[in-house]
Amino acid sequence: MLPSPTPARALAVLRGRRIAMIRFEHVTKVYDQKSKPALDGVSLDVDRGEFLFLVGASGSGKSTFIRLVLKEDRATRGAVYVAGQNVANIPSWRVPKLRRGIGVVFQDFRLLPNKSVFANVAFAMQVIGKSRAVIRETVPEVLKTVGLEGKNNRMPHELSGGEQQRVAIARAIVNKPGILLADEPTGNLDPTTSMGIMKVLDRINQNGTTVVMATHDDDIVNTMRKRVVELRDGSVVRDDAQGIYIGTTTAAAG
Amino acid sequence: MRFAFVLGEIASGMRRNLVMVVSVVLVTFISLTFVGAAGLLQLQIDQMKGYWYDRVQVAVFLCVENSTSESCASGPVTDEQRTAIEAKLKSPELSAYVDTVQYESQDQALVHFREQLANSPIVEAVTAEQLPESFRVGLVDPEKYEVISEAFSSQPGVDIVSDQREYLEEIFGYINIASLVALGIAVVMSVGAILLIATTIRLSAFSRRRETGIMRLVGASKAIIQLPFVLEGVIAAILGAAIASGTLWAVLRYGGQWLSREYPQMGFISTQELLLVVPALFLLGALLAGASSLLTLRRYLKV
Repeated sequence: MLPSPTPARALAVLRGRRIAMIRFEHVTKVYDQKSKPALDGVSLDVDRGEFLFLVGASGSGKSTFIRLVLKEDRATRGAVYVAGQNVANIPSWRVPKLRRGIGVVFQDFRLLPNKSVFANVAFAMQVIGKSRAVIRETVPEVLKTVGLEGKNNRMPHELSGGEQQRVAIARAIVNKPGILLADEPTGNLDPTTSMGIMKVLDRINQNGTTVVMATHDDDIVNTMRKRVVELRDGSVVRDDAQGIYIGTTTAAAG
Repeated sequence: MRFAFVLGEIASGMRRNLVMVVSVVLVTFISLTFVGAAGLLQLQIDQMKGYWYDRVQVAVFLCVENSTSESCASGPVTDEQRTAIEAKLKSPELSAYVDTVQYESQDQALVHFREQLANSPIVEAVTAEQLPESFRVGLVDPEKYEVISEAFSSQPGVDIVSDQREYLEEIFGYINIASLVALGIAVVMSVGAILLIATTIRLSAFSRRRETGIMRLVGASKAIIQLPFVLEGVIAAILGAAIASGTLWAVLRYGGQWLSREYPQMGFISTQELLLVVPALFLLGALLAGASSLLTLRRYLKV
């Protein structure tokens, strides 16, 4: 481990101040000079341990937000901080380290079809060089957290959609990231199954992981009553502490 | 763990891509065989130079009955002429150039002639009188052939002065051409091998994009993501190099055996020389594959 990346961060820790897990400062992302920016001057703080819904129509900038946090893309203007560190200043060889601190879940699960449930989750540990013993110990534990105990040896095609998403979540959190990004994780699932997934995500959040979930699903947002940030055409139009899917137009600070 | 993991990835990648891997092995095999052949031919030249330059002599042939050159106008060499020539060869003026002088009589010439053309029917027809007697002159510096040639070409009783090195140079010329041709083929085949390796790695990266995508997301290092692909190419190329080495060994072992039976005096290279060539082939194969797969990955495998 390298020492704290910036003195500012070390100072903030010393003062006991809360540091934002994810911080966007006037972030603009332009993919193509001719079209509108995908994100347009977005400023946003997500605190440690927070649960945030990112809502908005397709093309409103939710996925761009996630890509910027992962440093899959570079912000055109503004700065993105993850755990106090400006991602623009992370050299490319350190990006894997950044990503180890972030779990990601997608709408289409992205499991490896030729690997069992156990192997899919173990894969995330193998590729970062965890020992066999640690893997054998950790994977069943995580599978239990997501409610898949006893399904170690199933293949992905033998599982329901909800179960497959649980495997994907297990894989995302097995390396104990501080942040979990979920890009429409319930987009392919029916409402009941979705609620099951939300319970899992909530439990992960209770354990201290910051969760950012991009979603269309109004039922879920309305039931969970968590912070809601609404994006429209790349701008934050609403930020409610305990919001619902379509809230009033007044924006309240988180 | 990491090591086992990378090995597992390589194995599964090569299984999935078996046909391409086999073609990479074959193409590198052919190209490295030609590289090796070119190298061995150069070694053969070196070996022959080392062997023959110490032994080549300038032959001063003396006139016989049917010699046609001007200095032989008076007929076959006389005893006085022969003595004069020998005295001149051993004179102090030439001692700086001449190392050894050996007289070869017509009878000795016939014996040598029969030895050299043992299997030829000509041998029966040739008699000692038809062959010229000669002085075999070993030079201190084989390059200084001109000195002897100038001193003796108009000497009475001398038919011609011939430098055996010329024949060797001619042979070396042919071997050089063969080695250049081999090198040319090797270059073309190597380009083919590089392109094929690049394509193979591209296909492999494409067929495993799910895995690599996940590896990227969970923060696997660039090395862990790319290593299996690079090693896949390198292993295939090394297999090719191994087959090429085996082929060259077989050619040297059996072909060389046959050649040195047919031409016992030529001093052919043996399988010993492979010790120089084989490591170079392996290194070259690994470098070719490593470089072309790294370049390909830079374009087709985002990390």
